[in-house]
Amino acid sequence: MVSPTLAQPEAGPRPAQPEPRLTYQPNVDVCDCGAEVLIVADIPGATADGIDVSFEDGVLSLHAKVPARELPGRPVRQEYGVGDYRRSFRLGDDFDASRITADARHGVLTIHVPRRAAVLPRKVEVRAG
Amino acid sequence: MSLIPFRTKRTSGMEGGSLATLADFRNEMNRLFEGFFNRPTAFMPGWFETPEPGQWIPAIDLSETDTQIRVRAELPGIEPKDVDVSVSGDRLVIAGEKKSCTEESGEGWSHCESHYGGFSRAIPLPESVDPAKVTARYDKGVLMVELTKSPSSTSRKVPVLTK
Repeated sequence: MVSPTLAQPEAGPRPAQPEPRLTYQPNVDVCDCGAEVLIVADIPGATADGIDVSFEDGVLSLHAKVPARELPGRPVRQEYGVGDYRRSFRLGDDFDASRITADARHGVLTIHVPRRAAVLPRKVEVRAG
Repeated sequence: MSLIPFRTKRTSGMEGGSLATLADFRNEMNRLFEGFFNRPTAFMPGWFETPEPGQWIPAIDLSETDTQIRVRAELPGIEPKDVDVSVSGDRLVIAGEKKSCTEESGEGWSHCESHYGGFSRAIPLPESVDPAKVTARYDKGVLMVELTKSPSSTSRKVPVLTK
């Protein structure tokens, strides 16, 4: 009876394992500033063309793609994970989706969500008589 | 860290059923534990750093090649002119300040999750570097510092001789 030969492990260094990709919720600052809701999200490392902001059924969603971490050389310390950012906010139906604006600068995404004019409080002028 | 809020109504994100919610919960817990155990704390000897009251410590990446050391720090929303990068001995010091959100427009801020205020971090380097050959770049909220190891400190491979 011939015993089967075991497969020999390949010589040389093991190939680097791909970094596991998680999705993160970015830290946000939210301001209800009366005429609009302002959402400021920290998305360091995200590329401008990889940012997607959508508003549907009263829910504002943001998704920012972050390229994989470049690791030139030997990693000595890694204190933060790298992955795409996703977060959603239920705002309601009082907002004008056509006037939502978003801009990204220095790793911060600022989203202005204006309220519809019809729901804003209307000031009534008092005539003195 | 953000807790999953208790919802009394179904949202569009829950249309996929309980499995989608469990995946979100798993990601959130992974992020929570990863952020907690990877940050510099008292039970990591050699990296003990206590922030001053009102200060915060940015998270960093550190990697090295035979000739260079690279340090990256996540610093979103900071003007490049408000960051100080300096090399002192075998330490890299990154310091600066980020303005608070409540200062900008006062009332109305219901969430303020971002880190604000002064930050300062002294990072021990694995080898000594040449202070004249340090470059720093800030792009998309990430600060990248490249340091060149000083020639006297470059490690040398020792051949093993056999008799």
